[in-house]
Amino acid sequence: MEAVVVQGLTYQYQPGGPFVLKGLDFQVGRGEIVVVTGLSGCGKSTLCFCLSGAIRHNRDGVMAGEVGVNGKNIREMRGASLALEVGMVFQDPDTQLFSPTVEDEIAFAPENLCLPPDRIRETVDHVLDLLGVAALREANPYQLSGGEKQLVALAAVLALDPPVLIVDEVMSQLDAGGRKKVAAVLERLRGMGKTIIAVEHNLEAVAFADRLIVLENGALVRLDRAETLLADRNFMTARRLIC
Amino acid sequence: MSFLKLSQVTFFYPRKLKPALTGLNLGLEKDEITAIVGPNGSGKTTLTKLMIGVLQPAEGEIQLEGRPIAGYSLAEIGRRIGYVFQNPDLQLFCSSVAEEVGFGLTNQGCEPATVEEKVDFYLDYFELAAYRNAFPLHLSQGEKQRLAIAAVLANEPEFLILDEPTIGLDAYRKKLLEDYLKKVARLGRGMLLISHDAPFVNRMAERVVTIENGRIQSDSGRKGNAVYEA
Repeated sequence: MEAVVVQGLTYQYQPGGPFVLKGLDFQVGRGEIVVVTGLSGCGKSTLCFCLSGAIRHNRDGVMAGEVGVNGKNIREMRGASLALEVGMVFQDPDTQLFSPTVEDEIAFAPENLCLPPDRIRETVDHVLDLLGVAALREANPYQLSGGEKQLVALAAVLALDPPVLIVDEVMSQLDAGGRKKVAAVLERLRGMGKTIIAVEHNLEAVAFADRLIVLENGALVRLDRAETLLADRNFMTARRLIC
Repeated sequence: MSFLKLSQVTFFYPRKLKPALTGLNLGLEKDEITAIVGPNGSGKTTLTKLMIGVLQPAEGEIQLEGRPIAGYSLAEIGRRIGYVFQNPDLQLFCSSVAEEVGFGLTNQGCEPATVEEKVDFYLDYFELAAYRNAFPLHLSQGEKQRLAIAAVLANEPEFLILDEPTIGLDAYRKKLLEDYLKKVARLGRGMLLISHDAPFVNRMAERVVTIENGRIQSDSGRKGNAVYEA
């Protein structure tokens, strides 16, 4: 069974408004990393919101088609059960962080699942070490640098250990060391059977992806093996994805 | 005389024992493109906020064209130095994209026809014309980034500070930005870039300053040939 199944997905931010997503169909397997790319404004982040259920539950636009995660239709899933299936790291970490300390931020979701305190502490320690941000444990997330905020936002989502992870330009503000660390974490998660959908402009940073999806004006114009697509310079140049 | 001169600048955030920046000495000129690079949390953004007077140093002094920056109002600094924030959401506040680009010009007293002409130019150049009447915060991240840059460039400041300007930009829009910034530089306007994007830094910067743990670790010097290896 595929981990993520998207069928005929369309989305308009307002009824009668332009289609931001135009009939997308694709599937992502368990233990696969798929990178979504395309010019700014082509619908990448909107797709992430649809896949994570954020659009269905928090926005008033018009969504048609279906999104299935691990065999369940996200339309029929709510709150905590959805969060246990899909974790999303937003493009702008400022919209995701809200706790007074990094430790509280990471512990927030496990606490809301009523996990035992020992298990929460273990989880917090684990993700802080995994992303190399243990020194920031007591820091106020809002006083961190942009890159540090991105690492903390990712850590907070990983604390829930979701089987499907959606990351929207999660490396955009990271230094080289941070990018390597996040890439290694994503590869490790793939090895554990997690499914990862990553939005990225910097295709060199995600050379480890299994497949790439190219969106253009809300339509899926190509879905291919990463190495095949990256080697097709004519296509990439024509779509202005490399210059 | 440097356009911006930092002498022994040290800065602490409130309730922090360790300084975010320690004893920084740096001069920036109007005839070159300088990049500041360094690991996340090394103090790059903090340094630029000191340069525009948003933060004040605990020790040392910052001068803008030979006068202490503490003697300038924020509005005076804002007219001389254009600043593009790392996060465009912190910068955009108007009710439409066109208003955002024209806001600074209108407030500087430009004629409406001049404002309109410049707004049209920058919206066309940064491919935002289709969103002229859109609410800025409804744009995608890459579009917001382009808008924030366009709004600052439209004011034609003498000096530009751009904090991670390539975040959210696709390769094509990054190339457009590079071309425009090079054109701005040729007009004799100085520029300071903060970026982790090594290919961007290496294509743009004439001088690379590396900061680590709040201290300058290296400086290629004016019009140097340093290569930033991320």
